[in-house]
Amino acid sequence: MTGLDLHKVFRPEKKGLKPPHYKLMTEAQLEEATRKAIEEAKTKLIMPPVLNEREPIDDVLAEDKILEGTETAKYVFTDLSYSIPHRERFIVVREPNGVLRKATWEERDRMIQIFFPKEGRRVIPPTLFKDEKLGTVFQQDRHEDVLNMCIAQFEPDSPDYIRVHHRTYEDIEKHGKYDLLRSTRHFGGMVWYLLSRKKADGLLIDMINRDLLDDATSLITLYHMLHPECQSAKKAKEQKLQGVDLIKVFVKTESQREGYIQLALQAYEEAMATSSAS
Amino acid sequence: MTSSPSTPTPSSHRAASFRLRHLCAPRAGRAAAMVQLGSRLLRGRGGHVIIRFALGGCTNRPFFRIVAANSRRARDGKYLEQLGCLDPLPNAHGEKVAGLNLERLRYWLGCGAQLSRPAEKLLGLAGFLPLHPMTVTGAERLRRRRQREQQTEAAPADGSAETDTGTGTGTAP
Repeated sequence: MTGLDLHKVFRPEKKGLKPPHYKLMTEAQLEEATRKAIEEAKTKLIMPPVLNEREPIDDVLAEDKILEGTETAKYVFTDLSYSIPHRERFIVVREPNGVLRKATWEERDRMIQIFFPKEGRRVIPPTLFKDEKLGTVFQQDRHEDVLNMCIAQFEPDSPDYIRVHHRTYEDIEKHGKYDLLRSTRHFGGMVWYLLSRKKADGLLIDMINRDLLDDATSLITLYHMLHPECQSAKKAKEQKLQGVDLIKVFVKTESQREGYIQLALQAYEEAMATSSAS
Repeated sequence: MTSSPSTPTPSSHRAASFRLRHLCAPRAGRAAAMVQLGSRLLRGRGGHVIIRFALGGCTNRPFFRIVAANSRRARDGKYLEQLGCLDPLPNAHGEKVAGLNLERLRYWLGCGAQLSRPAEKLLGLAGFLPLHPMTVTGAERLRRRRQREQQTEAAPADGSAETDTGTGTGTAP
């Protein structure tokens, strides 16, 4: 369903200007090159993980009331051993009141970025990710850039990552700009979000309007896998429906925008009839 | 040290050995330089590995590196390995950031390295070692001093309040 539009996946990023590089190839070489490009594109389109929000860390290691009042600022100690994965690293905080506790997730992320910097990530997250600023970016239709920056900056289970992603998906769904994410690695995440909240009608209409019937059927099958107890899922299982019938059953039972979907389906069928007739 | 003239002048042992080093092996390979100890270290015996703070940074901006070095080296001189760092000034989030390479620290402690007192105190605060007794003593002394100051402030405040009742605001404790 993510779609494999090579022109969009490999569209030129704004880098330095270089004159175009021409190669003379035979048919076989061209096919080989296209095949390799498709494989590369598939690796680029791997979906980033969708995780639940992480539990806040709240672990006290020691309480030394004697130290209360000696220090004005807290000490943050990070274990800099090279061969430990970042998730298992010891990062502890000694508060001015003498309590030695494990660092919170935000403190952990900051310290790990200070001592083991990752490319594309900043120690203090950019102001772009605040709710007020996201609106401006969405007006410029730059949802994909925001999501790429978000993946670089935050961990997949951090609340900021989840919040930015949900905001982006909501905005796309509100304005129907599904095509912005098609053929990117964020499409899967968007579909998952919409299906788990049963808001897939707009996406379905968009797919039918673009004549992507296979995608529409896969969408409905995924919906049935996610919500097996709903009516359309049961009917589909009983009668083992395929293709357009599946969509029709779904439209009758589950969707909110029945009228729109019926219209879209009608238009599609007319288009198919005229094209097959001519 | 500038390069010396060819004629050796009678001078102190240190100057002679410096000149000798420069003349004989000015730009020798890395292995030779590593094996050659400075004359202050070459006294036949003595000197041990110590884990301590080396001060760096600029004026009014200290920065400590936690370092395993020979005890006879200069404080900021050549060290065996850097084991971490400490920023004594709090950052924008009100934290004093310290990094400790515990794996290598354990290695050097296993090799028989000593710790300087501030390093011991820092590791006590971190929880790697038990809390240093001087930290506790320092805290208790500070508390007692503050109590004494509060009492002395309270006593004259009471005294001045009794004597001059009409004059303006008294000293706030």
